[in-house]
Amino acid sequence: MRSLAPWLAGAVALAALPVFAPNSFFLHVAILILMWTLLGAAWNVLGGFAGQVSFGHAALFGIGAYVTMILYLKAGVSPWWGIPVGGLVAALASLPIGLVCFRLRGPYFSLATLAVAEIVKLVALNWEAVTNGPVGFLITGLPPLRVFGLAVDWESKLPFYVVAALLALAGLASTAWLRTSRLGAYLVAIRENEDAAEAVGIDTVRAKVMTLALSAFLAGMGGGFYAFYFRYVDPDAVLNISLSMEMVFIAMVGGLGTVGGPLIGAIFLTTVGETVRERFQVGHLIFYGLFMMLAIRYMPEGIWGRARKLFSSLQARVLGHGAA
Amino acid sequence: MRTFVTSIFALLAVLSSSPALAQPLRIGAPQPMTGPDAPFGDKFKKAYGMAIEEINAAGGVNGRKLEIVIEDHQAKNALAATVTEKLITQEKVLVLTGGRASGQAMEIASISQRLKTPYLVDHPSADMITAKGFEWVFRNNPTGSIYPAAFNDFISTYPGAMPKSAAVVYDNTLFGKTIGAAVMKQLKAKGVAIVADEAYPVNTLDFKPIMTKVKGTNPDYLLLVAVSTTDAILLTRHAKEIGIRPRAFVGFGGGFGVADMATQLGPLAQNVFSSAAWSGNPNDPKVKAFYAKFHKQFGIWPHEHEVEGYSIIYIIADALKRAKLTGNLDADRDAVRKALLATDMTTVFGKVKFGNWAGPLGDMYTNQNIYSPEHSVMAQWKGGQLLNVWPKSNAETGLTFPDPLALK
Amino acid sequence: METFAQSLTSGVLTGALYAMIGIGLTVVFGVMRIINLAHGEMVMLGMFGAFWGQALWKLDPFLSLVLWVPLMFLGGMLLYRLLLRKIIPGGELNTLLYTAGLSLLIANLALFFWTGDYRTINLSYGQEPVRPFGISIAVPLAVAFVVALAITGALWLFLSRTDMGRAIRATSQNGEAAILMGVDVERVAMITFGLGTALAGAAGVLLAPSLYLYPTVGELLIVKCFVIVVLGGLGSVPGAIAGGILLGVVESLGAVYVSSTYKDGIGFVLFLAVLLYRPSGLFGVGK
Repeated sequence: MRSLAPWLAGAVALAALPVFAPNSFFLHVAILILMWTLLGAAWNVLGGFAGQVSFGHAALFGIGAYVTMILYLKAGVSPWWGIPVGGLVAALASLPIGLVCFRLRGPYFSLATLAVAEIVKLVALNWEAVTNGPVGFLITGLPPLRVFGLAVDWESKLPFYVVAALLALAGLASTAWLRTSRLGAYLVAIRENEDAAEAVGIDTVRAKVMTLALSAFLAGMGGGFYAFYFRYVDPDAVLNISLSMEMVFIAMVGGLGTVGGPLIGAIFLTTVGETVRERFQVGHLIFYGLFMMLAIRYMPEGIWGRARKLFSSLQARVLGHGAA
Repeated sequence: MRTFVTSIFALLAVLSSSPALAQPLRIGAPQPMTGPDAPFGDKFKKAYGMAIEEINAAGGVNGRKLEIVIEDHQAKNALAATVTEKLITQEKVLVLTGGRASGQAMEIASISQRLKTPYLVDHPSADMITAKGFEWVFRNNPTGSIYPAAFNDFISTYPGAMPKSAAVVYDNTLFGKTIGAAVMKQLKAKGVAIVADEAYPVNTLDFKPIMTKVKGTNPDYLLLVAVSTTDAILLTRHAKEIGIRPRAFVGFGGGFGVADMATQLGPLAQNVFSSAAWSGNPNDPKVKAFYAKFHKQFGIWPHEHEVEGYSIIYIIADALKRAKLTGNLDADRDAVRKALLATDMTTVFGKVKFGNWAGPLGDMYTNQNIYSPEHSVMAQWKGGQLLNVWPKSNAETGLTFPDPLALK
Repeated sequence: METFAQSLTSGVLTGALYAMIGIGLTVVFGVMRIINLAHGEMVMLGMFGAFWGQALWKLDPFLSLVLWVPLMFLGGMLLYRLLLRKIIPGGELNTLLYTAGLSLLIANLALFFWTGDYRTINLSYGQEPVRPFGISIAVPLAVAFVVALAITGALWLFLSRTDMGRAIRATSQNGEAAILMGVDVERVAMITFGLGTALAGAAGVLLAPSLYLYPTVGELLIVKCFVIVVLGGLGSVPGAIAGGILLGVVESLGAVYVSSTYKDGIGFVLFLAVLLYRPSGLFGVGK
């Protein structure tokens, strides 16, 4: 970590946002952005740093979502405990997945992860005793909780916003830690040239499996948060291939292998998605596709590099706007 | 870069503009306007629009106009939740309807319950939606497990119709499994042997292998369940091509009742039964007038979706007329909910009155139309037209049974 | 026995069409090392081509190949020249995502102009399936199978007998060596992409009479397509053929003898198993 200043600024901005939020829908969009930041960060750890492009992260997300849901509905474990447990189970599940898929490289690895995700989805659809099959699980109410002596209002957005913000920060902090750690250095070596990395004595499989576990932990917590916030989990919703792709897009548009990239990617894609959907009821995905193509054509390295400049100018404008 | 800045500002502008209490009474409807379910969203849009036009032309509701706000959820649950939030908090709608598929409807129901906004379900059929004790959620259409009621009645009362054996092929979605389970439970209770019990993944490209297996069991009845139109069409096509010759082909699910069945299958659709697609009593003059008007305006004959969408607006208008609206959104929404509880009327869909009662699979329903068990009908494809044949009170023509192909 | 023969036959017939979709993807991968996520949409365009040909000009869907294949070939070359060429140097992942964006764009443009309605093509002939030895074979599927064989044969002749074909194979086997040998890689890439697009379009035209079509059908096809090309080995044409037929047969037999619910799962498990024992596929050409 070069300096704590950006982190502090980010934390202050996050804390201030709900105060200035004009309404609950604004907070809802903010929560979605934070959830996607976490998921983008989860994918980025593996895809951005280790160069292992996974198309199957929906499986890890889904495992986290199901574990959180099942623990709450069948064992009475509150979701705020269920979320980290969901992350842990996803991390455990990632070990055999990693041992199988990491025997493959490049596009073969990517497609193998896709197959794993499809298999997990089929299991969730058909293993009715555990997953309730296509019916899925619904939470109708959350257990009472008191924080600092105050009862938490689960009907408001604020508690979810706080949890999402903490999770997103955890995702970004893990990335920052990874960047400066020895493991991170190994991963960059693997990304640049896997054979060479092996030749200098790096246990590449071990490094990749550990990274996948970290990535799975974050993605699993993202899934747990989804279950906790949206309160309904079924295979189509949490194990869909489009989730895996969305995570790739966010990490990619934001900037691969960077710390802040996923945040930028999440803000960008969520805002663009909402705005075009607002304007064009039927053809909005045309613009989304076009936008992705333009972003990759003209900003192939992601937008994190330019994000700072943009951020400061945006801040100036927002502040100026507020004063006027 | 400009795009980004502009879109952020556009979003902020949209988010922060809280419109003053609008004059028209607003109804929100999350529907799939893009994505794989887009054709269904379009059907509802037409039906809602026609009903609203009629009501507004006749002076609106207590002098105020109705307005529908449709938001696209692309058949994705998370997006359904997002647009529901938006309709309730941004668009300030009084009441919600729509949803189309059960997964998205679950999210809408869950949020409506929390944000205390009435949600009147017009089409999604999963039992769970009205079986969770949500007092803000109402449903006009029958639940999935009620869909086979007319079929059940047919085999019990029509002379010689009781199956000797049945093959059941259903998709492994919420809809398919619910109906498959309800049908098999009822058949087993009557002592009918289930010779094949096959679940398939939705959007299967080739049903021939499954149909080959089914053919080997030589079923007396072939019962097909499909949530997707394409599956319904291919199931029928492949079953016939493989040469299965049961006494009756019975399809459950909307796909078997849409015009595509006839246009795309041609003669292969002949004599296939469609159980479930209740679209009002076609012998009722008011229903006939609606059919004719809809056909004149849009060039297509309305079916279950259009009838449901059109009727729901009338049920909402009726409740809004009786509700005492004050201009306070929270109080008004509760007033609408209370008005819905007292609903007792007839639309082109049929009679409606909401109540709490137990369904065929043992679920306890809340605010489910108490006339639902009557809203099940068996229709049959004849010469490219789907005509109601059972129960007799709703029949438009006599039925063809057994299938002439079985006699060859 | 009859059940076995029937499911084997359906498996081989659908498998051959799967193979057609896979060949286009694998040829492009071989030369350019890119996985074209918009490949499914190109198949979709071929399907709609067949549909509109029949709806507007009463063109027989199979005959319309003569029109659509050259058009798709040109379209593919233009797409490469105008859009993809600048993206490919940015790396594998960028190209992958770029084609993902392209796939969204094409599918949603189609949705916008043609609506999401499901359509099928009805042939004036072949309503009744033919029944050699008591096995039911749908006529459209049988015709598509024969045409697919012919196209594959022509492709094989092109790749083995013409200079351009040899250049494509050389680039596919060893890009750097091909450059040293004086192959104009840029031109080879453009023609290969055109070829891949044309093959996808042809597969679409052939599939259309047996399947339904709608603008987002590509999503459904692309995943199967991945399984096929990886089974066979990315970049290998014989591999894609073997992979397609293998998948068709395994799905078909699996649905009958194992479980129709896990039909798609059987394909994926097979896929993983092959990858583990032969990481570069059955006919793999290098890593």
